[in-house]
Amino acid sequence: MNENEFGYQIRQALNEAAGQLDYKTTYRLEQARAAALARHRAPATAPAWNPSMLAAGAGSGGPRLGWFGGFGVAAPVIALAIGFIGIYQWQQQGAQEQRISDLAAMDFAVLMDENPIGAYADKGFGALLRGETEDL
Amino acid sequence: MASGKELADFLAGVERRAFKQAQYAVRDADAALDIVQEAMMKLSEKYGDRPAAELPPLFTRILQNATHDFFRRQKVRSTWVTLFSALSPHNEDDNFDPLETLEAMPGSQSAESAADQVERSQVIAIIEEEVGRLPTRQREAFLARYWEEMDVAETAALMGCSEGSVKTHCSRATHSLARALRARGITL
Repeated sequence: MNENEFGYQIRQALNEAAGQLDYKTTYRLEQARAAALARHRAPATAPAWNPSMLAAGAGSGGPRLGWFGGFGVAAPVIALAIGFIGIYQWQQQGAQEQRISDLAAMDFAVLMDENPIGAYADKGFGALLRGETEDL
Repeated sequence: MASGKELADFLAGVERRAFKQAQYAVRDADAALDIVQEAMMKLSEKYGDRPAAELPPLFTRILQNATHDFFRRQKVRSTWVTLFSALSPHNEDDNFDPLETLEAMPGSQSAESAADQVERSQVIAIIEEEVGRLPTRQREAFLARYWEEMDVAETAALMGCSEGSVKTHCSRATHSLARALRARGITL
């Protein structure tokens, strides 16, 4: 008897042994199979990205996004942040120019002696002038 | 990709063999069942989206790894058990059940009708016992080749060794098994 024939004979015996398992064992195998199948994920059918994938991907059971998919999610967020920073800078710049313009008008009014006399007696006006001037 | 039904059919077809293979390795039915369950869950959870054709070698690999993990855990556990075993009383007769050793009366109907079955079961039990006694690598190669019906290349890929090593393992396993069975009066 060569190796293949011997292997075949052993295989027959082992198959017979596997077929004679007791009820307790087969029941536990069935239970194990059911528990395993309960964890089986259905194969993904729609590879196209949609917003719900972002929420699903946050959990452990959701589809994973590759590095390119991750970049696709991050790009709009980065663009939005850059936009906010630009708007803030633009507003700051406009406010500063407006303030310079106001101070220049005030200085011009002081030099031209166009301010009402009561303004010089006001402590707040003097403090404002000093503070604004120091800031500049 | 494997559908739920394909996976269910695959597991149903392979579970008994998987249990037997684990049992040959660990020689404990409960531990073998745990190993099979662990392997099934891992296959379903991590590799359930693979094509159906890839499932058999994947499952065999996962089962082998789960068996090796069992031995690693057992090694750690046995260290602690050895330390504390001297403190526990030995009551080996507590689980003795006389029904397990009760034999049918000679000449009775049940004994006569079951004689052939018993003889066949004894032969199968001896074959299983001797398969379980093979060295691990030889047994894995032999069972993959002749029970799982994998070819040499698939077995080599599964075991992470060369095809020459697979042939050597199988040849040695065959000769050892044949010699052991012959010594116990069994010729196939």
